[in-house]
Amino acid sequence: MTLWTFVLAVETVVEAGAEAAESSGGLFNFDATLPIMAAQFLLLVAILNAIFFKPLTKAIDDRSDYVRGNIAEAKERLGKAQSLAQQYEQELSATRRQVKDRLLLAQVDANKIRNQRIAEAMAESQAQVVTAKAEIAQQKQVASDSLNTQTAALSRQILEKLLGDLVHS
Amino acid sequence: MVNQLLLCSQSCFQTLGQTLNFETPLAALEVGKHFYWHLGGLEVHGQVLIVSWIVIGVLVAASAIATQNVQRIPAGFQNFMEYALEYIQGIAKDQIGEKEYRNWVPLVGSLFLFVFVSNWLGALVPWKLIKLPEGELAAPTSDINTTVALALIVSVAYFTAGLSRRGLGYFSKYVQASPALLPLWVLEDFTKPLSLSFRLFGNILADELVVGVLVLLVPLIVPLPVMILGLFTSAIQALIFSTLAAAYIGEAMEGHGEEEHEDH
Amino acid sequence: MDPLVAAASVIAASLAIGLSAIGPGIGQGTAASRAVEGIARQPEAEGKIRGTLLLSLAFMEALTIYGLVVALVLLFANPFAG
Repeated sequence: MTLWTFVLAVETVVEAGAEAAESSGGLFNFDATLPIMAAQFLLLVAILNAIFFKPLTKAIDDRSDYVRGNIAEAKERLGKAQSLAQQYEQELSATRRQVKDRLLLAQVDANKIRNQRIAEAMAESQAQVVTAKAEIAQQKQVASDSLNTQTAALSRQILEKLLGDLVHS
Repeated sequence: MVNQLLLCSQSCFQTLGQTLNFETPLAALEVGKHFYWHLGGLEVHGQVLIVSWIVIGVLVAASAIATQNVQRIPAGFQNFMEYALEYIQGIAKDQIGEKEYRNWVPLVGSLFLFVFVSNWLGALVPWKLIKLPEGELAAPTSDINTTVALALIVSVAYFTAGLSRRGLGYFSKYVQASPALLPLWVLEDFTKPLSLSFRLFGNILADELVVGVLVLLVPLIVPLPVMILGLFTSAIQALIFSTLAAAYIGEAMEGHGEEEHEDH
Repeated sequence: MDPLVAAASVIAASLAIGLSAIGPGIGQGTAASRAVEGIARQPEAEGKIRGTLLLSLAFMEALTIYGLVVALVLLFANPFAG
C-alpha cells in the first residue's frame, strides 16, 4: 500500500506540476472560505443555543427540580408515616403492659382465693376426720364394752354348763 | 535522471494497473482540487460550503424536531438529543469545572456536533455519486479552511474567557514563572490552534485518502474495515476537538495552576 | 516543477510519514500495555481506562498525522515548486 501511495503521490505531483499553471488549486490554500466558515459556525452556535441548548437544558433542569421536589415530599410523608407508626406502636405496647398488669393482678387474686378455699376445705376435712375418729373410738368403746359383757355372760354360761352342779351346790 | 525516475514510476503505475485490470479505474483520487466559486474577486471552495450547509441543516432540523414539543417525560427523538446534550455537558463539566461550564456548553457543544456530523456525513454519504465540475464533495472538516476557522474561534474563545474572568491579569501567566519563558507562552498560543486544526484536518483527510486508495485498489469489501475504523476515528476526533477546546477555556479561566492537557 | 525538487519532495514526504510513525507507535504500545495491566488489576475500572486510553491514543496518533500533513504539503502544496 505504501508503494501505491507513493506511486499515486508521484503521479499526482506530476499532474499538479502540469496543472500548476492553469489553476491555483491545492490542499493548503486559504481563501474566503475561512471567514465564511467562521461566520456560519458562529451563526450555528447562536441558532443551536436558541433552539437546542437552552430549551433542553431548561427541560432537564425542570425535570430534576421536579424529581427532587417529589423525592423531598415523599421523604416528608415517609417520615410522617413512620412517626405515626411509632406512636401507634407505643400506644399498643402501653395497652399491652396494662393488660399484662391486670392479668397478673387477677391471677394473684385468683391464687389467693384458691389458696383460701383450699385451706378452708382442708380445715373442714380435718375437723370431719377428727369427729369421725372420735365417733369411731366411741363406737369401738361401746363395741368392746358390749363384747366384754357378752364375753362375761358367755363365760358364766360355759362355767354353769361345766360346773353347774358345783355352782348350784 | 529524475525525469527517468518519474517516467519509470508512471509506467510502473500503468503496468500494475494493467495487471490488476484497472485501465479505467473505478475511482480516482482527487486531492487538492476545489470547486471554486467567485464572489466579487474572492475565491470560495464551493464543495466545502455546500456540505457544511447540509451539516448545519441537519443539526438545526434535528434540534427543531427534538425541541418542538418538550415533554417532562422525554420520548423518542427528544430522548436521544437529551442524551447528546448531557454527553456534551459532561465534556464541558469535566474540563471547565462545575461552576463555570454552563456558559460554555453552547460553544463546546456546537463544536462537537458540527465536527461529529461533518465527519460522519463525509464518511457515510456516498458523495462521489454527485458529480461536480471540479473537486468532489467531502466532509467540510477535510478542508483546512474549516478546521482553521474552528480552531481560531476556539483561540478567540479562550482569550475571551481568560480576559473576561481575570481581566488583564490573564497576561500575568506569561511572565509568572520567569520572563524568559514569555516567548514560549506566546508560541504556545500559536501552536494551540495550529495543532488543533492540523489534527482534525489531517485525521479526516488521512481517512479519506486511505479509503480512497483502498477503493482504487480493491473496490469491494476490503475497504469496509478501514471505513469503519474511519468512522471510529472521526467520532474520537470530534470528542478530542471539543474536549481540548473546553480544556483550553477552562485553563484560561483557572489560571496557571493547572497542568498542561496537551502535547506541544 | 524542477525534477530535482520533485524527487527530493517525494523522498522527504516518505521520510516524514515514516519517521513520525516511530515515536507514536512506541508510545501507543506502551500506553496500551499499561492499560491492559490496569484492566487486569482492576477489571471493574475497564470502561474508564478504555475511554482514557482511546483519548490518549488519539493524541499520539495526532503526532503521526502532523507528519502526514507535512508529507501532504510536500506532495500537493509544495512551497518549493516555483
